[in-house]
Amino acid sequence: MGLEHTLINIAIWFGLYLIVAISLNLEYGYGGIPNFGRALAVIMGAIAVGGIVNRILMIIFGISGNIISGSSSAKAIVNDLIAQNPAFGIGLLIFTLLLSGIIGVIVGAVFILPSAKLESDYLAITLLAISEVVFMVSYYNPDLIGGYYGVPTPDVLAFVPGESRDLVFAGVILIVALLVYIFAERLLNTPYGRLLKAMRENENVVKAYGRDIMKIRIKTVAVGSGIAAMAGALYSLYSVNVIATAFNRVEWTFYPFLMVLLGGLGNNRGVALGVLTFVTIRILLITYKYEITHALHLPFEAVWLEYILFGILMLLILFYKPEGLIKEKPIMTKPIKKAMTKRS
Amino acid sequence: MGVVEGAIIYANLLVLLAIGLTLTYITTAVPNFAQGSFAIFGSYVALTFLRLFKIHPYVSVPITFIFGGLLGLLTYIVALRPLIRREASIVTLMIATLAWDLILLGTIGAYSDYIARLTRKPGAKFIFTHLDYDIAGISAIFIVSSLVIALTLVGLFLLLYKTKFGVAIRASMENPALAEIMGVNVEYTRMFSWFLSGALAGMAGCLLPFKQEIVPATGALIIVSIFAASIVGGLSSIYGALLGGYVVGLSESLITFWLSTIFGTGVLVYSKVISLIILIITLLVAPRGLVGINWRKVRRWVSSTH
Repeated sequence: MGLEHTLINIAIWFGLYLIVAISLNLEYGYGGIPNFGRALAVIMGAIAVGGIVNRILMIIFGISGNIISGSSSAKAIVNDLIAQNPAFGIGLLIFTLLLSGIIGVIVGAVFILPSAKLESDYLAITLLAISEVVFMVSYYNPDLIGGYYGVPTPDVLAFVPGESRDLVFAGVILIVALLVYIFAERLLNTPYGRLLKAMRENENVVKAYGRDIMKIRIKTVAVGSGIAAMAGALYSLYSVNVIATAFNRVEWTFYPFLMVLLGGLGNNRGVALGVLTFVTIRILLITYKYEITHALHLPFEAVWLEYILFGILMLLILFYKPEGLIKEKPIMTKPIKKAMTKRS
Repeated sequence: MGVVEGAIIYANLLVLLAIGLTLTYITTAVPNFAQGSFAIFGSYVALTFLRLFKIHPYVSVPITFIFGGLLGLLTYIVALRPLIRREASIVTLMIATLAWDLILLGTIGAYSDYIARLTRKPGAKFIFTHLDYDIAGISAIFIVSSLVIALTLVGLFLLLYKTKFGVAIRASMENPALAEIMGVNVEYTRMFSWFLSGALAGMAGCLLPFKQEIVPATGALIIVSIFAASIVGGLSSIYGALLGGYVVGLSESLITFWLSTIFGTGVLVYSKVISLIILIITLLVAPRGLVGINWRKVRRWVSSTH
């Protein structure tokens, strides 16, 4: 039971973080855009679930009242419906994912506009600041997603018996993550992907070839944010509850950066490996926190150990392995392949 | 404590933090995301001296200066110097300071549990306001924080403009490569700026619990105001930090208070949102900050529109 539970937990977090890490890899690893506000897109996914889908359900079922109490009434009705009719649950899941993706795309496209005037450190600070504003507002304002009370969300898998719900949900998350992975691989293995890498290396060269840097950036961050928002939506649906504090910048901006750098920038296979390594360490740390505290006679809680360890891990990667576990490989397009075989 | 008095105290502390952030940005060209945690480190040093040795926080201001300075120096030597030697990009350096901030958060949090066990008093949440007293009707924290600012400014001025080392520092701020050719040890000036930055943050942290409650994660909250202050002033000017610190510090408290008289007290929690909005507007309209605005151009533009 214990081990099985741990494995399911690892699978769930591997899927969620793979989605976010791939979106960040697309923007930072390929495009070189320092998106220190990744958490914003993820929280948009949470808002799509807790703030928008809940309201739509309240209107459909004619529930009045504020978002917090209204959501729990809506949840009760919707869960009963889903328990009888699985198709409704699956439909709601797909609708929520699409909605969060669309919101993510729109927000991402607007969010990156400051990059027209700012670059590198100034841009990173601005993006972080915008993301923090939205985080604070959604935490302090109870009308958005319930503020510090949070809002309950319907269980789209209410038709699955309770004991196997986590397992099935892990499957759902992994399927979405796989689709995102395939999508990113195909998207980046095109002239567009190579254009992104060119932009990362030297913007002026890209400009000289007549490309509009701003357009590329907007497209990239829009797609990246759309993807990341789906992770936020999935996480909210999984935990059947949305609360703003769960979307802080350590967990959804810093950790994704850590995973991308650990795995290897600009290379999705590496990033997947980085995510798996990180998630395994983290879940083991969380699962065995009491055992660790006892065994090491720590005079403090293990959560602080988690922060210290991941901070040190990040510095070690930056010092000793800046290229990550799997190094970025040159892109093997047909002309390059031909040139390589000719030479050998 | 009156609203204006409280606003000035907060602005004083913010100026200390913003000057520190600006100093290291000028010498090392990296925005330090750990500046907020530097301050909270100072708060916990003050708490330790209060609980274990019964030393009043006002007396331990010099102690927090030294401890904070050592932390700043350690940050540079451990987290940044190896990367700078390898000519890492600015974004890499920023990620390194974020990582360092996380390590500090973990360490401070762990220490807060530890000191709570040691003294059997809560450590994860504390405040010093009950230790404050009045001097001639004015709260002591107002006088102390203003005094610390005045001494810091005079000290900085004397150091930068009246000593040979100050000339070397200013030279390596203006043009590190040229300064190095002229025999200035840029490495020393960098190490010194990190020491000073940490030291100023330590003092600010020592006084901050007189103004607000401290938890280990408070650093992540105040870093927002620190960045706003430094950037509004102009990240590459110490005068800018002074100006920006007061603009952001005062408007954060006073605008929020003014808004709360219109919309009710619910607005008070959004004070940080105000400084973030000021920050974003400044970056978009005048990325070089208040100091970088070409006022002659603005005047000409204003008169031409009339």
